[in-house]
Amino acid sequence: MEIREKLKQGFLILDGAMGTMLQQAGLRPGERPELMSLTHPEVVEGVHRAYIESGSDVVYTNTFGANAHKLAGTGRTVEEIVAAAVGCAKRAAAGTGCLVALDIGPIGELLEPVGTLSPDAAYALFREQVEAGVRAGADLISIETMSDLYEAKLALLAAKECSRLPVFVTMTFEENGRTFTGCCPSAMALTLEALGADAIGVNCSLGPEKLRPIAGEICRWTQLPVILKANAGLPDPQTGEYHVSPDQFAEEAAACTQEGVRVLGGCCGTSPDYIRQLRSRLEGKKPAERKAENPPAVCSAERTVAVEGVRVIGERINPTGKKRFKEALLQGDIGYILAQGVSQVNAGADLLDVNVGLPGIDEPAMMVQVVRRLQAVCDAPLQLDSANPQALAAGLRAYSGKPVVNSVNGDPKTLRAILPLVKKYGAAVVGLTLDEDGIPATAEGRLAIARRILDAALREGIRREDVYIDCLTLTVSVDASEAERTLEAVRLVKKELGLRTVLGVSNVSFGLPAREQLGAAFLTLALGSGLDLPILNPNAAAMMGAVASYRLLAGQDPGAARYLAEYGQAVQARAASAGTAPAASGQTGSAGPAADGGGREALEGAIRSGLDAESRRLAEALLRESDPMELVERCLIPALDQVGERFEKGKIFLPQLLQSAQAAQAAFDAVRDRIAQSGRPAVGRGTLVVATVKGDIHDIGKNIVKVILENYGFRVIDLGRDVPPERVVDAAKEHRVRLVGLSALMTTTLPGMEETIRQLHKELPDCRVFVGGAVLTEDYAKKIGADYYARDAKRSVDIARAVLEQEN
Amino acid sequence: MAEPFRIDRKEALRYLGLRGQEPDAGTAALLERAAGMLLETARPRTVWKTFELRETEEGLLLPTAGLLLTGKAIRRHLCGCTRCILMAATLGLETDRLVLRTQLGSMALAAVLDACASAAVEDVCNQLCAGIARQLERTLTFRFSPGYGDLPLALQQDFIRSLDTPRKIGLTLTESCMLAPQKSVTAVLGIRPPGEAMPRETDSCAGCNLRGRCSFSRDEG
Repeated sequence: MEIREKLKQGFLILDGAMGTMLQQAGLRPGERPELMSLTHPEVVEGVHRAYIESGSDVVYTNTFGANAHKLAGTGRTVEEIVAAAVGCAKRAAAGTGCLVALDIGPIGELLEPVGTLSPDAAYALFREQVEAGVRAGADLISIETMSDLYEAKLALLAAKECSRLPVFVTMTFEENGRTFTGCCPSAMALTLEALGADAIGVNCSLGPEKLRPIAGEICRWTQLPVILKANAGLPDPQTGEYHVSPDQFAEEAAACTQEGVRVLGGCCGTSPDYIRQLRSRLEGKKPAERKAENPPAVCSAERTVAVEGVRVIGERINPTGKKRFKEALLQGDIGYILAQGVSQVNAGADLLDVNVGLPGIDEPAMMVQVVRRLQAVCDAPLQLDSANPQALAAGLRAYSGKPVVNSVNGDPKTLRAILPLVKKYGAAVVGLTLDEDGIPATAEGRLAIARRILDAALREGIRREDVYIDCLTLTVSVDASEAERTLEAVRLVKKELGLRTVLGVSNVSFGLPAREQLGAAFLTLALGSGLDLPILNPNAAAMMGAVASYRLLAGQDPGAARYLAEYGQAVQARAASAGTAPAASGQTGSAGPAADGGGREALEGAIRSGLDAESRRLAEALLRESDPMELVERCLIPALDQVGERFEKGKIFLPQLLQSAQAAQAAFDAVRDRIAQSGRPAVGRGTLVVATVKGDIHDIGKNIVKVILENYGFRVIDLGRDVPPERVVDAAKEHRVRLVGLSALMTTTLPGMEETIRQLHKELPDCRVFVGGAVLTEDYAKKIGADYYARDAKRSVDIARAVLEQEN
Repeated sequence: MAEPFRIDRKEALRYLGLRGQEPDAGTAALLERAAGMLLETARPRTVWKTFELRETEEGLLLPTAGLLLTGKAIRRHLCGCTRCILMAATLGLETDRLVLRTQLGSMALAAVLDACASAAVEDVCNQLCAGIARQLERTLTFRFSPGYGDLPLALQQDFIRSLDTPRKIGLTLTESCMLAPQKSVTAVLGIRPPGEAMPRETDSCAGCNLRGRCSFSRDEG
């Protein structure tokens, strides 16, 4: 019987542990268990047979670590191991009706950007396993013990793209209800169901009793069959033994069926006995009825946002009308973009819109980079915003979780191009109520388009609750009746279609003064008309104030808890901060009068003391009278020099140096804004490339050097960490730099540094290289061919000055 | 399992280049703020196992782990021990992310946070080892880690495998044998025979390859 049929009928019993069974049968310590399918096929077959005899409907092949990565050095290929393993299982299952699942475990390395394994490499490893499994005749694929939702997604994509087999996916959770990488059960359920898994659930880590709440949570977020493959409790550190008996295990696992679990088996520490007991406990029982609620929701791996009540989408990651943002995109200054994301989340954004489209950049590549790096530092779900289907496809593939796609419209061409992507990658989608003929003048016309979009989405297999409609905000400075037309369309879409609605709010006030108050008033009206997802600037206090007020007034903020938390404290803080010293972070500054006479000294003082808000304020005041570059040369740089000197003499230490650097940076930001306003090109002191060398992931030292160098006005192209020599050379060539800085923390990565220097000197004889890192010394730096050794961040500035300014 | 931990402020300051000097008020405030963030975010996880230890010509063998400890230093370190402990500890990916995120807003705070995290993972190890010693009612040697002295860094792979750290505590290795998450430690400790006191082996800087040229040294000057 086909597995999808079996899943509908009742309980499905899986097998138990493989590894411990093989150890009992003579697997030697340190030997890869997967090899036994080749060396001792009769043993592996025997384990499968024992499970089948004890009642398993499905057995997992002995291929948990059978990826090319883990098999490296064994002399065996994935193809060989998988073929042998599937063969063992099939022989055992022959004539029994038991099905064979190709088992796929995690690769065992962390993915970029937190780790060093590239997603493309991970996908290729999974694909190789899937293809081998298909050729060997597996009946289904089981992806298990995943900790990283994105790794699970890559494996699932490989399974879906390279086979037609049903796919089970289970992840491993800790007792706190999260995986090691922070994934929560709801995010797992939303994401994997949307991506097309056939059954999902939990395996390993804990016994059934402790996994019950997690399995229950998954049941509430999916309509798919839910799997529980628990350990026999926790192992004893001294003996490695597991303590939950077969009988107790079966009792606890059977209890989980009350949550709605219907696919059960065992993981570490279990044996055929456990499966037999489990089978007999479930004999004659029926799975519990389940009611998945399935509210409209999106997620990152760490955070699920149900669209119930108002959810704010931050609009700031978008180059439209933002000079500084465009500059960041063109220069590949991802840090600036990430900071925009983090600050919006801190200001209360529930989701972040991500638009990185700009002529002259590779939008798909930029989308991938921004999505990945943004997801490493903030947990808000993302709304991928592009008119370019390639950029959307790339971003969707790179995304961990269930995102929103912004957008499709009623034009059949965009629907055909984009809806299949939305379906394939399991996203929600925003439909704009316009089409090839433009924006309908009436609310009814917009409703008609919304209906068409919904129908097209449903035909594509996208769920109704995953379609959000944007009725389009037009500028009231052109025609004041536009606002009411938009609001009416929102009301109609809510009433007639019952869909969630989106509006970009800021547009309403375009071309008018006091935009924020107009925006806030429109926002309140729109929320009252049924707007669920306003797209706005969460750093605008009036807008967030309108959202908070509406939530309270509309009964979405019980006991006014959120309102009070936000505004009660803010009022107190304002009252308390008057006259107190700025906090250590320099995030707050005293709001004193603008600087007049002695402003420069005050600014220098603020930099020395590391007060960033104060520095910015003083710099802004000074910029009203002085030339920006003069301020830099006569005030900011001398102040930094003083700080640097004190650092060199051991009078101050790294934290103070960095605080001063931040304060100087705040002043530089004011300078940069002034220069941008004046339309003059930004003046730089020269450009250099920095990188943490191949093999090394410890890059905070390099990042510190970057901050200090930027302070001095150098443009720093930061290649990140674990950077291969070739990439450093390419970047140095592309940007025509005369100086490259390399860092390494570990002795073992110094050869990588040496090789990078060698290639740089060979390819670019005029390029100088400086190196730094905890294990380096002046002598060693010379030995590996570096031109300069920077023992600290201050010294790297001296080097950059010496190299880049001597000929300028 | 999350375990409570302490952040040794002096140790953190040492990582930041202060050798006993009093931090200024700004640094002190950063230190408290970073420590607070870390206590809230980090989720220390540990795993350990005892193994039999056998002397062979090639090195010290852990037969049930299929692991061979090579080099002179480890032989000296575990001299007289017939059993040992492999341990691993990590502050988890939450901490890596926190440091990464903090760098976007304030490099000063991030640097202090990074130092606090280094101090914290040491404390987690100290507490774990003290707990094991109590449980076994034995004296343990110092922690000895792959890459230290002449114990090859490549042995990390065997440590990770023997303790099944990816599955047990989410600790993995990169291709170049770096631990990820970053604030993590693996080590071997000898279990001293009952009744026998520890040989007075020194502080951990004494046997280090980088002695004399390390900026984090405990040696004065």
